[in-house]
Amino acid sequence: MKAILQTRFIHLKKHWGSLLFWLLFPIIATLTIMGLTNSLQQDSKVPVGIVVEETTPMALDLVDSIKQTPIIRVEQLSEDEALTQLEQHQLDSVFIIREGYEEQIKKGSRNRLIKSYRSDLSFAYSPIAEMVMSYVQQDTGRTKAVLTIQELSEQYANTGGNWTWEEIVDKSKAVEAEENLLQTSFTFLNAQTEEDANRFVLFNPWGVWAIFSILSTFMVMDWIIRERRKSLSPRFFFMRIALKSYLLRNAMLYLLLFIIIDIVTIAVFFKSLGEAVTLVLIFAVLSFRLTVLMGAFLLAIWINKLPVYYGFSFVLTLLIAIISGAILPTEGLISRYPWLQLGNPLAPFLSKEIGYEWNILFVILIAIWFVRKEKRNVKGA
Amino acid sequence: MLKVHNLSKNYGTRKVLRDINFIVNPGEVIGLVGENGAGKSTLLQILATLQKPTNGSLSLYERNFEDKKKLRKQIGFVPQEIALWDEFTVEENMVFFEKLAWTNRTKTQLKQLCLDMKLNRWKDPVKSLSGGMKRKLNIAISLIHDPDLLLLDEPTVGIDLKSRKEIGNYLKRLAKDEGKIIVYTSHDMDEIISLCDRIVCIGEDPFYKNLLEEAGKSIIPV
Repeated sequence: MKAILQTRFIHLKKHWGSLLFWLLFPIIATLTIMGLTNSLQQDSKVPVGIVVEETTPMALDLVDSIKQTPIIRVEQLSEDEALTQLEQHQLDSVFIIREGYEEQIKKGSRNRLIKSYRSDLSFAYSPIAEMVMSYVQQDTGRTKAVLTIQELSEQYANTGGNWTWEEIVDKSKAVEAEENLLQTSFTFLNAQTEEDANRFVLFNPWGVWAIFSILSTFMVMDWIIRERRKSLSPRFFFMRIALKSYLLRNAMLYLLLFIIIDIVTIAVFFKSLGEAVTLVLIFAVLSFRLTVLMGAFLLAIWINKLPVYYGFSFVLTLLIAIISGAILPTEGLISRYPWLQLGNPLAPFLSKEIGYEWNILFVILIAIWFVRKEKRNVKGA
Repeated sequence: MLKVHNLSKNYGTRKVLRDINFIVNPGEVIGLVGENGAGKSTLLQILATLQKPTNGSLSLYERNFEDKKKLRKQIGFVPQEIALWDEFTVEENMVFFEKLAWTNRTKTQLKQLCLDMKLNRWKDPVKSLSGGMKRKLNIAISLIHDPDLLLLDEPTVGIDLKSRKEIGNYLKRLAKDEGKIIVYTSHDMDEIISLCDRIVCIGEDPFYKNLLEEAGKSIIPV
């Protein structure tokens, strides 16, 4: 392996620029695309100003709830700034959480808890005001529940229940989270419901990375075509390391290099995009890497000309992206032809599973290629 | 010593080589001549263990040709096409193939091998070399593992006379001083006549035979 490392180093000295580019390309492209998408999403959200006059937990919880709403972009400002921006139509509307919000809610008051402003060009005021009011009503509803429970507790003092305001509110939130009515699936006459949990989504950082990673692996593995060119192959018959062994050992080196980059990718995505790092993810990435590398290896030993190889690489990448639903929605097609998903090497990875089928198939194909006798005619080879 | 005994090669029903017999002693340079398609390259490839003969046997220093793996350590093969890394320098090419070769050589030894062939552009990239220089490097790489038998398939095609002479002189020296067996194919009869000790005429055409007899060269009857 030392000889392989030394000879590879001679090659890499000549191509380090392109190698580095293609190794880092999936990370950079994914970060760029995710960044662009996020900024586009931010730009398309309705800008809303929030003025918070008190810093009680209830008021801050309300601000958080509003901020988590996907369709709006919240700017937390002072009242003067907010109104100036509203006048300049930089904001669609402004909501002010008045001093004494929590106190009034706890008293059971429902009047003038929030003050709102709109301009003549506010187009989303009504739905946003409804949404803000629904959050306030959640707080008032919970307060009412707390008061009722505390009254009942006083009436039946000997039952031993002595809950604080916070405990009742926390319990109420926990019950709400457990029994989320919006996510309950209903069935009609036992008809099968569509199970969303098992469907993979391409448009997440790992999905985008996987597509770019397939392309970059194909591009990096083009060395196989350059190095097994016909004029050079006769030399390897008279070497300590035969051509097939040379190619395979070098492919293992590249696998190692890719794995290092993949580990870096996991760390970068964790740091920059907040993607969770789990053992399953690590194994899924390793399995995916093995599949893609072996696929590229087989393609490169099958094709002799670089332009043809590049053509196949782009077509295959595009095909995988299409059947994965990255370019066109393919739900209908997949439900009609389920084998399309079975034939997609990306499917196990996107479902965060460790794929074995493709790896086993590729290992068998590589083994057949390795033991098969070499064509001996040098002139014709 | 290289022994070829009753060697035949057929491609389907077509007989390319028929009952070839010859013996080459250490220090001899043998030429293979014949018209196009007569079977020169086929014979060279059989000698290089890259093709199997249909019939007959071969041995190199009593080692049978069936033992290909061990035999290849003793064979240096110079392909007709220039087999080099164009983007590498002369040094990088030599070092690259040395790393994969059977024998370890130091950089000084590799450089000396090139200098012996009058190839003195150690640090220059191959793409900047002349055709003659490339051919010299092509031969030098095949000599890294110090083979006993050197097979050259038209190694001087398309190069200038000076380079041809330098390569010829080097090969002669290699055979005489180091006792190597050299088998050489070429279409250039002047080159064959000046370089080779004995010549094998392949094919039915008497043209080459007559030419060599006129030049007073020793012909190996096959």
